[in-house]
Amino acid sequence: MESVDIFYQIEGRREIQHLEAPAEHNFGAVKALLIEKHGLPTEMILFLEDADEPIDELIVVRERMGSHGVKAHLHRCRHVKVSVIFNGQTVEHSFGPSATVARIKRWAAESKFGMTPEEAGEHVLQIAGTHDRPAPSTHLGALAACPHCQVIFDLVPDQRVNGSCGEAK
Amino acid sequence: MNSPDERAFEADVAKPAFRLGQGEGRWLLLKTVWPYVFISVTAKDGRTFTLRFNCAGYPQTPPTAGPWDIDCNGVLPFDRWPQGLSGRVKAVFRTDWKSGTALYLPCDRESIAGHPNWRTEMPSKIWRPTDGILQYLELVHELLQSCDYAIPVCAAM
Repeated sequence: MESVDIFYQIEGRREIQHLEAPAEHNFGAVKALLIEKHGLPTEMILFLEDADEPIDELIVVRERMGSHGVKAHLHRCRHVKVSVIFNGQTVEHSFGPSATVARIKRWAAESKFGMTPEEAGEHVLQIAGTHDRPAPSTHLGALAACPHCQVIFDLVPDQRVNGSCGEAK
Repeated sequence: MNSPDERAFEADVAKPAFRLGQGEGRWLLLKTVWPYVFISVTAKDGRTFTLRFNCAGYPQTPPTAGPWDIDCNGVLPFDRWPQGLSGRVKAVFRTDWKSGTALYLPCDRESIAGHPNWRTEMPSKIWRPTDGILQYLELVHELLQSCDYAIPVCAAM
């Protein structure tokens, strides 16, 4: 029986995890496997990466697998409220918990603050009040746990690593 | 039996996050001749750049890495190094730094030495043993995928 690599993140946990599941399983069965594996509450909802709505649990995994399997997220909340602060302005929106930090940055920097892709590339999202800059592949839901499903980011310049020519060796 | 640092490295590259990066073509572990590890990283145009990491003391001691010509078993000739349009890539891929054996990154063992200011100026780029090799690779991959990336000099001629 063909198996599929499921790479997933879980509510409030940053680590990417992995499960091999039969390609003929539906997503409801995959969710049940994950809930059992991690001892999670049964009200968990399964999302595919960057989807704002839960995956239909009757869909068979094979129908949604890419060349490297499936990327998914398990969370109790359907949406996570995001605030991004830049230059004293705040923009807000709710995303599915499987939205990646990379997608949030594109939305904030390019769509809301009007940056070009080049300008956006010079900025990163940093969790407000910390030095924590989650990797672009991090799911929003990994940063927020129910019932406080909210993440506040600062959009900050990604400082260049600069040194004077005099220190070159 | 392998040394503790090599076993720690093997455990990190067996983790899902590293394997997912490989599956998505972001990087590829080519070979290990401990303490040296050869990993290619994919740029925006599909070109790959091999880095030779020295991972002695991993993960408590940060690795150091530089572009490597795996066929000639030497530092990659400078005209084959990635270029930058506005300086972000070239600030890291410095041919005038450590004879090309170390990237100019705060998470690099050779480069952090003598730069205590980086710990406060760029805390997110300081080596984190818990994230391990993934942190270094994500920083390099992000640079090579950025708008600033430009093809090497030899390819542009």
